[in-house]
Amino acid sequence: MPTNVAIEVEGLKKIYNGKITAVDDISFQVRHGETFGFLGPNGAGKTTTVSMLTAGLRPTHGKAIVDGLDVSHDPEEVKRRIGVIFQESTADGDLTGRENLEVAAGCFGIPGSEGRSRAKLLIDQMQLSDAADRPAKTYSGGMRRRLELAVGLINRPRILFLDEPTLGLDPQGRAGFWSFIRKLREDDGLTVFVTTHYLDEADEMCDRIAIIDHGKIVATGTPTELKDRLGGDAVNLRIQDGAPDLTGLLSGQPGVLSVQKQDGTYRVKCQKGETFVPRAVAACTEAGAAVLGVTVKRPSLDEVFLEYTGREFREEEGPTATDRAVMLQRVQGQLRGRR
Amino acid sequence: MFRELAALTRREFLKLARNPQAIFTSLMLPLLYLLLFGNGFSFNVAQFVNHALPPPEQQQQLSFLLDQYFRGAPNYYSYFAAGMVGFVTVTATLFIGANVIFDKLFGVFKRTRGTPAPSAAVFGSRLIAGSAQPILLAFFVMGLALAFAHVSGLHGLSVTLPVGPVGALQIVAAIVLLSVMFATVFLTFGVLIDVPQTYFAAVNLINLPVLLTSDALYPWGTMPAWLQNVSSYNPVSLAVNVLREVMFGSGAYPYGPGVYLLGLFAWAAVLVGIAILLVRRALRPLE
Repeated sequence: MPTNVAIEVEGLKKIYNGKITAVDDISFQVRHGETFGFLGPNGAGKTTTVSMLTAGLRPTHGKAIVDGLDVSHDPEEVKRRIGVIFQESTADGDLTGRENLEVAAGCFGIPGSEGRSRAKLLIDQMQLSDAADRPAKTYSGGMRRRLELAVGLINRPRILFLDEPTLGLDPQGRAGFWSFIRKLREDDGLTVFVTTHYLDEADEMCDRIAIIDHGKIVATGTPTELKDRLGGDAVNLRIQDGAPDLTGLLSGQPGVLSVQKQDGTYRVKCQKGETFVPRAVAACTEAGAAVLGVTVKRPSLDEVFLEYTGREFREEEGPTATDRAVMLQRVQGQLRGRR
Repeated sequence: MFRELAALTRREFLKLARNPQAIFTSLMLPLLYLLLFGNGFSFNVAQFVNHALPPPEQQQQLSFLLDQYFRGAPNYYSYFAAGMVGFVTVTATLFIGANVIFDKLFGVFKRTRGTPAPSAAVFGSRLIAGSAQPILLAFFVMGLALAFAHVSGLHGLSVTLPVGPVGALQIVAAIVLLSVMFATVFLTFGVLIDVPQTYFAAVNLINLPVLLTSDALYPWGTMPAWLQNVSSYNPVSLAVNVLREVMFGSGAYPYGPGVYLLGLFAWAAVLVGIAILLVRRALRPLE
């Protein structure tokens, strides 16, 4: 594995009960210091992948190397080196924030005094000082998430896995959470592997993204690359009445893919809207056509998602692969019980 | 391993301390049994014998009855109080596994499993905390029953033999073994089962037959022979036998307390062994 690779996945597969394929032969790499987004509809295989990468679930086939260690051969050492923020809240509500952190430190074999000092540091860092000695069950949603993040960082991991970390948080809570992650990346060079339902978050935070559907990776790239693959930006130019036809002029500009005219407005599809607009405005003015207004619309990740999965991201889905596996196990158990 | 075990054990005790209602409730059951059930059944055997038989036969018959019915205890209450120690030791372990299931439902278990803490520490911490509570409760029951003997109008536990250090150690060993054994069984259920209703059904399947085939509460002499035979091998009976022999001494028992302790140890070894096999599989690092 190259030294700058934090996570390497090769031909990874998970089949539950020999029947349900949750993850189907996926391969990708995450570089050190990178924030890698793993997107997909419900039941696509995101959580199963995270479970395998965090040494919680044994892969059926394939290889997953995390921080240089094979998760199948060295699961405990992998757990020692990573931090995980689960989808659901895992803090013990009866214990205070500080106690939760100290217990988590103990679980990593960190000595008591060191655990206490790390807990204090993280409490300060996560701005939980005022609530540190209150039971976690009294925390707000945002505070609980920050506590989860602190717990995930207690072992000073090199790689942080975030599974739907902002699910259920209000916009303020989401923004606050990501500002902590951003700071951690800047200060510590942390590698972040994140699954999220919020595509705007993925667009803003991720260096690269993989989209998974039906257990297979259907697209990988930077957010810009993925959006560019949809055919570039849509620029609308509103031109003063009576101006000459500009279709030919606009089509001749570099990077233009198509031009349509409708009621005095030209709809231009081009590769880079931000470089096209000044050139187009100058050309129109030179041709004696006054430009009254310009709008530039970049394709969003929502559209990318729709393109690759054929589904709206927030569309209601059936049970996940894990749910289906659990259901199958229960039915099999009941059948065995009847025999 | 030690740091992980210490941290997780601390968590268990912190949770216990944060829940004083649960502690209060756990004390209520034995208190009611000792106060109502024990007193309700404590008819005066001596008075009955004196009334029914002529004086020359009274002492002989009384000794015979006490040996046969209460295995040497001076009265039913004392016999019952020793049984109650075994009874509460078992019943106090019932909820240990349920806590694991609730921790699974609330995600706390997932967090622990996401750390490199070995499964022995995960299980061991709960076993330590889960056994400590029944052990303390057992001594609370014994203390309360002894105190009742000094309250006018109440029956209480009367110890008729001096309990030396060896006897005291034998009592402690019996309670600890019984507590650890049942805590292990119910904790294993908690690890293996995910649904609370299934857990409680499984627990009742063990708990009731074990308690009702023991001589913890029934007078030995009133049990049919087949139940006496079953009871002889019951771990609760074995533990209670140790307590009764040490506190009352009697020719009613075929063996000394050491033999019953050995029997109890054998039960514990088998059950803990099975639990280790099952739990190691269930809590292996990669599922």
